[in-house]
Amino acid sequence: MTSHSVHSAPTMKMGIPVPNAKLGMWLFLGTEIMFFTAFIGSYIVVRVGAGSLWPGPEDTHINVFWGGLNTFVLIVSSFFVVLAHAAMGDRRYADARKWLWLTMLLAVVFLGIKGIEYTGKFSHDILPGHIPETPTQAIAKLDRELEAVVRERLAVYTDNDVVSVDRPSDLASLVPQLQAFQQGGSPADSDMDEETAAEYRAQVEGDLRLYERWKNLHEHRVANASLTALPVAEISAYRSARNALVEGDRIPELKLGEVHEYLEDMKADESFGAAVADGVHDPHPVLYGNLFASCYFLMTGFHAIHVIVGMILFGLALSQGPLLNERWVDWVENSGLYWHFVDLVWIFLFPLLYIAA
Amino acid sequence: MSHNDTHHVNYLIVFLALCLFTALSVVFDLLSFDNHAVTVVLVMAVAVAKALCVMMFFMHLKFEGNWKFILLVPTTILAIGLPLALMPDIGMSYYTPMTPQMTAWEKEMAAWRAESGHGSGHGDSGGSHAAGGEQHGSGGSH
Repeated sequence: MTSHSVHSAPTMKMGIPVPNAKLGMWLFLGTEIMFFTAFIGSYIVVRVGAGSLWPGPEDTHINVFWGGLNTFVLIVSSFFVVLAHAAMGDRRYADARKWLWLTMLLAVVFLGIKGIEYTGKFSHDILPGHIPETPTQAIAKLDRELEAVVRERLAVYTDNDVVSVDRPSDLASLVPQLQAFQQGGSPADSDMDEETAAEYRAQVEGDLRLYERWKNLHEHRVANASLTALPVAEISAYRSARNALVEGDRIPELKLGEVHEYLEDMKADESFGAAVADGVHDPHPVLYGNLFASCYFLMTGFHAIHVIVGMILFGLALSQGPLLNERWVDWVENSGLYWHFVDLVWIFLFPLLYIAA
Repeated sequence: MSHNDTHHVNYLIVFLALCLFTALSVVFDLLSFDNHAVTVVLVMAVAVAKALCVMMFFMHLKFEGNWKFILLVPTTILAIGLPLALMPDIGMSYYTPMTPQMTAWEKEMAAWRAESGHGSGHGDSGGSHAAGGEQHGSGGSH
């Protein structure tokens, strides 16, 4: 080649002075910042927009203790990752493996605490789309949940051939058959012995009473008529009450307070009270509760997925066992960068979700 | 290029600082200032301090070349810009009490609060909701 360019200028080097692997990881982390910004930024916007109307800890069951503990767990794990990387640099590979194992352990602890929190959210039905935001919605949800309890109780009779209906969900034909059975009718399964039939007959009374209580509430809800003002919710009673109205008067509307008392009364019943208490959530409206639940699960869920990915990265290094050597230094360093980023996200999620809420 | 040898960070001190910051944000929460915004500003400031500790020392950004700014400044600007861009249309206008759903909600909640002799706990939170609605009204009218 020509000689004039060989020694004169310093060699031109493409790119920036950083190893390719680390550059790749930092570029990826740049996109990750934007990924979480979409969620965290949107959350900040709706949170600011809702102002003091945002649901409080008594409705969201957010617990600063668990969030703070998880913050601590992740900080300790980040510290261990740094120690693992330092050990790799010093060729102390056994030490590095020890710190990485401890990091894995803390990741499991983090996910375990997250699991406890999620279990609480599920058992209280703090889930997107499940939370009533007005008294009307709270009553409607109670109606639905009560109906589910009724259907579950009555399914015992169709499943065991005490009564026979074409569609078990068809309460209009199921209930008359149950009433006939209660008054001494024979079970649909002719092979059933007398003792078993007597047992079913003894419990059918309570279940039919449960059905009547639910049906009463349901009809009041559909008619939006107060339970106390119109004790019997037969449509005819409702119509005549409506016809008797003087102009300007109105049928008292169904109120959440009386529904609440109605529910407490049902829970006290000795034959079906426990099933009702088990299957029905305390009905009260939480404005923006669904928005909270969506934000909470979106942010903590994607963060938990990142924790799992980090565990896979460390797990691959640890799968080398005693063979972990200098060829894995970059791997541990870049997995560590990723892990610190996961820690960073939580550092912001903790105050935003657990304290600002 | 020699980013592997010269800097000696005492990681233990960084770690203890991070623990201290975490405890501090819990303390700020427990103090429960009259104005909740004070708590939020304080704990967010603590979060930024913790993030800086992690990024500078654990992620070694303090010892990296200027390429870190090329990579991180654009994404940081975009990350701050997104909420700011959404704030006027969503955060400051969407929840004004003039919208039909808020009017309907206020009406229904007022009727609920007017009921007597039930849910005293909810009655309290309902009261704060009403106050929030009023604050909101003054905020929205600017």
